[in-house]
Amino acid sequence: MRQSSTDKRHFITVSVLVLIGTAVMFWLLDSALPMPIQASIQAQTVDQVFQWTLIAIAFLFSLVVVFMLYTVIVFRRRRGDTGEGEHFEGNTALEIIWTVVPLLLVVLFGYIGVTTLTDITKAQENEVVVQVEGFQWSWLFTYPTDSGEFTSTELVLPVDQPARMEMSSRDVNHSFWIVEMRVKQDVLPGQTTVLRFTPTIEGDYKLRCAELCGLSHWNMLASVRIVSPEEYDAWLAQQSSQAAAITTASN
Amino acid sequence: MSLMSLGIVRGFVWQIAGTIIGIVFAVAMRLMMGMSPWATEPVWVVAILFGSMGFLIGVGSMTDWFKWMVGIDTPMRHGPPKGKPAWTRYFGVDYNHKVIGIQYTITAIFMLAVGGAFAIIFRTELARSGLQFLNPGQYNTFIGMHGWAAIFAIFIGIGGMANYLVPLMIGAEDMAFPRLNAFAFWINIPAIVWLLASLYHGWDAGWTLYPLLSTRGEPGFQFVFLSVFLLGFSSILGSLNLIATMLMMRPKGMSLFRMPIFCWGVMGASIIQLTATQFIAQSFLMLSFERTLGMPFFNPDGGGSPLLFQHLFWFYSHPAVYVWVLPGLGVISEILPVFARKPLFGYRWIALSSIAIALVGFLVWGHHMFTSGYANSLRAPFMLATLLVAVPTGVKFFSWLGTLWGGKLTFPTPMLFALGAISVFLLGGLSGPPLALVGSDLFLHDSYFVIGHFHATIFGGFVFPFLAALYFWYPKVTGRMYNETLGKLHFWIMTPAFWMMSVGQMSVGVMGMRRRIADYDPMLGGMTSSGLSAVEIGQTVVTISAFLIAFSILLMIYNLLNSAEVGALAGNNPWRSRSPEWQIPSPAPEHSYATPIRVVGEPYDYGLPGSTYVTMATAGDD
Amino acid sequence: MSSATTTAEAYRTQLRMNRMGLWLFFVSEVFLFGGLLATRFYLWGNTRPELDQSIGLIVTSVLLLSSLSMNLSEKGLEHNNRRLFLGGLVFTFVFGLVFLVGVMVFEWGLFPAFYEGHLTPGENVYGAVVFAMTGMHALHVITGLAFIAIVWNLGRKGSYSPERHWGVESCAIYWHFVDVVWIFFYPALYLIGHVAH
Ligand SMILES: [Cu+2]
Ligand SMILES: [Cu+2]
Repeated sequence: MRQSSTDKRHFITVSVLVLIGTAVMFWLLDSALPMPIQASIQAQTVDQVFQWTLIAIAFLFSLVVVFMLYTVIVFRRRRGDTGEGEHFEGNTALEIIWTVVPLLLVVLFGYIGVTTLTDITKAQENEVVVQVEGFQWSWLFTYPTDSGEFTSTELVLPVDQPARMEMSSRDVNHSFWIVEMRVKQDVLPGQTTVLRFTPTIEGDYKLRCAELCGLSHWNMLASVRIVSPEEYDAWLAQQSSQAAAITTASN
Repeated sequence: MSLMSLGIVRGFVWQIAGTIIGIVFAVAMRLMMGMSPWATEPVWVVAILFGSMGFLIGVGSMTDWFKWMVGIDTPMRHGPPKGKPAWTRYFGVDYNHKVIGIQYTITAIFMLAVGGAFAIIFRTELARSGLQFLNPGQYNTFIGMHGWAAIFAIFIGIGGMANYLVPLMIGAEDMAFPRLNAFAFWINIPAIVWLLASLYHGWDAGWTLYPLLSTRGEPGFQFVFLSVFLLGFSSILGSLNLIATMLMMRPKGMSLFRMPIFCWGVMGASIIQLTATQFIAQSFLMLSFERTLGMPFFNPDGGGSPLLFQHLFWFYSHPAVYVWVLPGLGVISEILPVFARKPLFGYRWIALSSIAIALVGFLVWGHHMFTSGYANSLRAPFMLATLLVAVPTGVKFFSWLGTLWGGKLTFPTPMLFALGAISVFLLGGLSGPPLALVGSDLFLHDSYFVIGHFHATIFGGFVFPFLAALYFWYPKVTGRMYNETLGKLHFWIMTPAFWMMSVGQMSVGVMGMRRRIADYDPMLGGMTSSGLSAVEIGQTVVTISAFLIAFSILLMIYNLLNSAEVGALAGNNPWRSRSPEWQIPSPAPEHSYATPIRVVGEPYDYGLPGSTYVTMATAGDD
Repeated sequence: MSSATTTAEAYRTQLRMNRMGLWLFFVSEVFLFGGLLATRFYLWGNTRPELDQSIGLIVTSVLLLSSLSMNLSEKGLEHNNRRLFLGGLVFTFVFGLVFLVGVMVFEWGLFPAFYEGHLTPGENVYGAVVFAMTGMHALHVITGLAFIAIVWNLGRKGSYSPERHWGVESCAIYWHFVDVVWIFFYPALYLIGHVAH
């Protein structure tokens, strides 16, 4: 004899399976989605948001899939049975519950979303400002210094100091993305867009264009170096004196 | 029988003639206005318009209307054309919604194959880093072609399901406006021709066609703009017809809440198609005019704004995703009760959730633009509105579980695909929140994570349900049963393969793989002990899965073609469904219902002894 | 049931369906023109180009008059007054044509030998939007004129009766709709915002 579908034992079994499923699913997702290293303060926030959504995803996924697989196994038609299923057309209380509970989740994630958004985009004191220009299919960085400005084809930034990119495009839309810094921002013609991040790990990275911009979009790269403050100052001094030398020479 | 008696052949001949006349006309106009005779783009724009008109006249889709204009009455045509073999009706203008539904469906499968073929080509290229056999220009054209061919397939596939099923399900004789219905179908054919013709010149801005990239470069763009414009026209007219049919032609006793649930999905989709489509038609027209006449809508040099295009485009293209999935979700809701032998759990909630999704869908377009550079203050409201979509979508999932719970489930192919659709759509839906939250979207936007997300959404919301529908209504359409073993084999190849593909795409996306790049950095994700880098392993898995999916689809096509000849006779109602279309003979006769039907009960009261949904009125009744 | 009542019943059903179809079409069109208005406000904000105010006022008045004559024409048919019916159509057609000429010749400067327009579609975003909005509207006016010509021709041949005249009804509603669209476009183009230089 089959248990009735409203038997408590069904729900206890399923609840246990859902919890196990959540854990397994979280582990699977976590290993299927290997994050690159976290090289900025913003990356930590972004990864935190991502982790929270992964937990919710793992839970909701196993909730639906476990229930579904359970019905597939337990409520399948037995051989020789020609009867119909149990007749119930719905349950308003349940419907309200599964409208309201997701609504609360939405509010929670809305809150997380808004706070982390302000976190990532807020202005900081003491920002290193670099003018970024994107064009088909390269990048150019302009550094303002006391002795005028100079341009560079590589992006060099000091570690642990907030950086602000002020970006525009010469031709079509591009997008500024360094995977290890996580955040990204489109670069548009006729408009300046701003991206802020604070590098935390010294090393070499790649800036890649993330918005399709034509034939060599795939190859629109620039190298990025995050260096110690001393090294950065030395680089600045060297670059600006070089620029000054070129200006004098051309005069 | 001469070839020219086939409408479609006549249409193509007229299309070529129209194109030539258009070219001559454009050149003559240019000479008259004192310009140089030839300029590829403006001349082709005129040629495309003339050619499309030529097709629609030649195929005969406007003949009745022309007659009306001079006061000639044209009675409704029924049955196959006189003096020609019956199969010819599928190759010309026919007003029967079942014929039009089949025309749509076959065209959709054709376009699915075209879109899939493009995917297979560049997926092969991407299996390894480095450029193997495609150059970047070809690659960029192919990804855009894949996108639009697939979107054509989806719209046309939905047209197929809706046209065949909606009138049958509500017991209507036909659609509200049969001539308009045929016209709306036939517009798609020249649209497809122009889309494929765009390959000749190429175009490299992806399916989203953002300016200023799409306002420079190859003339292939013009073909795409106008092709999509025609598709949009078809979409608007088709949805208008469906809404009118559902509102005006239901039989006695069928209140809106007693319609088969699939109709609610179509209703939600049609509301969006009727309205939002104007925005993409308009934005593509603006692109076309910016290219030909230099009208600077989007070019900042003339005071325009590239962001305006993104707003117009996504105001349509986000809701469009719901056009693609709502009918499919309706198919799932339609199939589950039949094979669970249980009522649909919470009919009203499912029905209203379709409308809720459609309406909320109008307020969330900005989530595609979090990185676009619009005002920072717009990000939060669009994020919150987007998260809200989860609520009505959740209602659908939970109601499906409620439908299955306590049933007596059997698993023929359509049921398998419905369950597979739920699992895949779940994957698509749940990978949405990381993209809806601005923080993680700034990371994932324009990466392969997005690719994984929306392929799961579209496969779960359209492709799997569409396949389920093909198998489910196949006996009604052909009168024969498909081969169950091959059907199950199709399912068991395609579903795991799709899972691998989608998760693989998300995985390489997180590693830093960008969208729309012909070649990628092999060092993303680092080296593994196998000698291949992590990203290459991921890409290879995705490519292999794509091949498996393609193979399984070919298997289905073979199955459906072959079974039409050798399949066992299906009988009127092989699934023991309560829906009205199963109470009539298979294949469905020319006039579906000999007498008007009357609704006397709820549609999904499986397991309630003595209840029926519809009765066929006998003559003299009423 | 006699066959006469059956066909009358069938006609009424068809009429209800046709009306529904036409209104759904307008719902769709509202989004088309709404999109153009949205474009105008997005790109121009609180500014507008320098347009010829007297031309704007004249064409707008003429178009309003054409709605009036269209209404009289329909009334004429309903009261079996053929002269009013056909004459009203002719007047509507002429008014519509005057509107079109006003826009094309004077606003667009399509015949520069006769009258120089002050905007070109390609020069800047003002020209582009003016041409997009008036162009899309003019396309609908042209369709309307063709519609009126067809209805007039059929009316002349006696195809319509006071009871059965869906052709006339739909033509009239369509014309009024095109008119209403202009009532939104006129202030958006000519009145709102300050003139940009
Ligand atoms: Cu790029
Ligand atoms: Cu969206």
